[in-house]
Amino acid sequence: MEKGNSPFKFQIDTWQKFGNGYSGMVVAPTGFGKTFSVFLALISDFLTYPDKYKKGLKMIWITPLRSLSKDIAKAMQEAIDEIGLDWAVGVRNGDTDPKVRQQQVKNMPEILVVTPESLHLLLAQKNHQRFFTNMHCVAVDEWHELLGSKRGVMVELGISQLFHYVPKLKIWGITATIGNLDEAQDVLIPYDIKKTKITAKELKKIDIISVFPDEVELLPWAGHLGQKLADKVVPIILESKSTIVFTNTRSQSEMWYQLLLNAYPDFAGQIAIHHSSIDAHLRIWIEENLSSGKLKAVVSTSSLDLGIDFKPVDTVIQIGSAKGVARFLQRAGRSGHSPFETSKIFCVPTHSLELIEVAALKEAVRQKVIEPREPLVLCFDVLVQFLMTLAVGDGFFPDEVYERIKKVYTFQEIRDEEWKAMIDFLTIGGSALKNYEEYHKVVVMEDGLHKVTSRKIAMLHRMNMGAIVSDAMLKVKFISGGYIGMVEEYFISKLKKEEKFILAGRVLEVAMVKDMTVFVRLSKGKAFAPSYLGGRLPLSSNLGHFLREKLSGALNPKASEKELKFLHPLLANQEERSHIPKEDEFLVEMIKNREGYHLFMYPFEGRLVHEVMAALIAYRISKLAPISFSMAMNDYGFELFSDKEIPLNKDNLAKILTRDNLMVDVISSINSAEMARRKFRDIAVISGMVVQNFPGQQRSNKALQSSAGLIFKVLEDYDPNHFLVRQAYTEVFNMQLQEQRLVEAFKRIEKSKIILKFANTFTPLSFPIKVDSLRQTLSSEGLDARIQKLIQQAKRK
Amino acid sequence: MKIVTKNINIQDHVFTLTNQRALFWKKEKALILSDLHIGKTAHFRKNGIALSNQIFESDLQRLSVLIEYFQPEKFVIVGDLLHAGDNSDVDKFCEWKNQFPDIEFHLVEGNHDRISKKLEAKLCLNFKLTELEIDDITFVHDFEKSNPKFQITGHIHPGIVLNSFVKKIKLPCFALSDNQLLLPAFSEFTGLDTRNLPKKARFYVFTDAEIYEI
Repeated sequence: MEKGNSPFKFQIDTWQKFGNGYSGMVVAPTGFGKTFSVFLALISDFLTYPDKYKKGLKMIWITPLRSLSKDIAKAMQEAIDEIGLDWAVGVRNGDTDPKVRQQQVKNMPEILVVTPESLHLLLAQKNHQRFFTNMHCVAVDEWHELLGSKRGVMVELGISQLFHYVPKLKIWGITATIGNLDEAQDVLIPYDIKKTKITAKELKKIDIISVFPDEVELLPWAGHLGQKLADKVVPIILESKSTIVFTNTRSQSEMWYQLLLNAYPDFAGQIAIHHSSIDAHLRIWIEENLSSGKLKAVVSTSSLDLGIDFKPVDTVIQIGSAKGVARFLQRAGRSGHSPFETSKIFCVPTHSLELIEVAALKEAVRQKVIEPREPLVLCFDVLVQFLMTLAVGDGFFPDEVYERIKKVYTFQEIRDEEWKAMIDFLTIGGSALKNYEEYHKVVVMEDGLHKVTSRKIAMLHRMNMGAIVSDAMLKVKFISGGYIGMVEEYFISKLKKEEKFILAGRVLEVAMVKDMTVFVRLSKGKAFAPSYLGGRLPLSSNLGHFLREKLSGALNPKASEKELKFLHPLLANQEERSHIPKEDEFLVEMIKNREGYHLFMYPFEGRLVHEVMAALIAYRISKLAPISFSMAMNDYGFELFSDKEIPLNKDNLAKILTRDNLMVDVISSINSAEMARRKFRDIAVISGMVVQNFPGQQRSNKALQSSAGLIFKVLEDYDPNHFLVRQAYTEVFNMQLQEQRLVEAFKRIEKSKIILKFANTFTPLSFPIKVDSLRQTLSSEGLDARIQKLIQQAKRK
Repeated sequence: MKIVTKNINIQDHVFTLTNQRALFWKKEKALILSDLHIGKTAHFRKNGIALSNQIFESDLQRLSVLIEYFQPEKFVIVGDLLHAGDNSDVDKFCEWKNQFPDIEFHLVEGNHDRISKKLEAKLCLNFKLTELEIDDITFVHDFEKSNPKFQITGHIHPGIVLNSFVKKIKLPCFALSDNQLLLPAFSEFTGLDTRNLPKKARFYVFTDAEIYEI
């Protein structure tokens, strides 16, 4: 509730329901004061029935972002002070001063703002139950962000423990609109208590504006448009009060920061770059200056998707595809934050085909079709971590905890033998280990209490709690002193000594690497932008659907569809050389050129699904005749390339694309063990098999380092039925192979008319895929030369 | 288990590489190994990471087969016999070693070999030194630049990445340069370092079935 404004209806509804003892979920767009719906509900309930409330902690407020905590706590404290209550609002997370933390333990504030991790850390304390006895409510902010991730599972488990301590506890969630709200509520509140869903009627107005290049190129390719469009982005920034420029990867953000500075050197000192690899202090400084309106623009990644309201920001620019409707709306909502302002978002394509995506996004927003967030199931790694947390705290009795775990949404399907395997894992190391004398992670006391007694094991656990696993990150420091940020070890390992890279908008030259730190000096000239393994999000299936729909009618656009009109020459080119697939068609292109034989297919299902499909189709073709392929893919389609002629024709194509034996063929076509091994990396860290953080730099701890790959191999060899190994395979099927989405895609293809076209040069649809594939194998300089050659070839026809 | 061998010449001596992560020197009847990291799994268990010691047992079994095959008169361990001091795996190792009382045991100390007097007695080493010289060949855990002699070393756990058309495969290897032979880690429970390899070296990569020269 803004001061002086009258409350929205959903806020009043929330206060009433809360007062009547309900739990529930509030659905509202950002900027409408959803924080105050639940927070003031508690205050108003207290003012009405002060006798119900006793001394101590009354509400735990869980937020996904550490950086959000302070501002939320400040806003709450101000409101409380204004009302004239003597309540205190505290923040507890990794950034909290140890002194403050100690004070909190002695004397809990009335409201405590935490992250999922810091809540679990509280549960790992001895005698922690006393903190919660007088609690009335646990509230989960931005639930849509947590749902569908392992941190969301941590929240579910944390709440189950709090609910156990306080059976009358009210559970409230706050979420933006997502496609599966009812399910989201079931996950948050699986308990048989009074619950309700309150949806705000207020709607956020959004202006979606495409930025068009001067001319449309006949062959689009990824990344190339940037330089040309930077000149068009500059005036947008200049005309706005303050702008956030969203990119999809950290390397893209570094690149655009440079592009903007080159295009308009006066920006120096007025714009900044913000992503998760940049030093936290610098990020906070940037956020503060964005809040106060001192920065004209910030180039960022998803690191600014969430977070405090930046009041001065009135414009958002999205570089490239937003990949999904929900994410797009989230980003758009970062501008024009107050309730009745309009959010303005400019879409800057990185290749011209992305303009169709803008048209598709507009349609999706008009129809209000937003992606669901699928909750995770049976995350044994998180459960193992949670049980360790309880064992580090006051200990637990397995039978009693099991009853509670079975009620948690994620673990509703857990089987007795899985539970037993988990307890064995903690106490004797698992069935394959039998009973080793030296293994005493969790000790069973005489009365059956399961408890950690080793101080070292307890300390290792506390230091490694959480469900965010990152690749080993190296600090980057100037040789003369001064911290710049972090890069993944993987990236540095590929750099040679004299090579340069870009971080935080600076060109840096590696001087030496020592003790997990890269020492650099300032440099100039050509440099690599660090590539990071994460952050390559695939296109959502909703957006894929609208994309196919827009493409289908692309040659005859409505008057309002500026993007399609603009693209007309390119689309006509596609139609002339090959074909534009209608909604009920599936396009296959076979292109023969000097390099060899290319097969392109366009399911528009996103990179991940295409990866699996490409392997599957390659496998099925290789059953017709021995042939080997290299593969490439983007969000629109994939390519199989071979130096031999591909034995495909109109007659056998349908058989290659059949849904029969789908999953059997998928399993034969991919190296699922290899994929599971990669998935196991996170599982190993979360379940404590691989230790990431060591207390101090003691030598004895270094001897504990090993790689998840090594442990996976050992488990597969000696204990193939281990529940963590099985979880790795399940994750491969659900997340990597996206079984459900794959089956849906094949169902659709089955119903479609298959169009097979032949060509001698690349078509507008195939070209970006080809370029992406070159990108993966060639160094950046060789790449440009290669692309030029390809373009020349295409022009000659 | 299949033992594949390949002979190479170093300073006019014949050495036999095997695909079982060990080297044999016929003239000295010496089985040369590096980086056994005994006690690694036990150390992990001690710290609450559940790992079976079957890994370690299969390492020992492999060693038994090699002994059977080459009938050596001495072991030369080029460092990192132990991983983290004394523990139950070390007991098992001593037990195993007592089967071969006639084989001389030379340990060149590695960075992991922090061995107390008590532990040294338990291990019944014949010789424990920081460097061993036989003829004109030096055995040392990590390569010493300043030493002009030919060195047989360990420490690195060398591995090579082979790029095939579709994917990458990482394999352990021996690396031979003008003045160094770098041994693979004997223990299977070790990672592979593919970066800190000697320059201008020839690599002998091996699988369960074959040794390849690269």
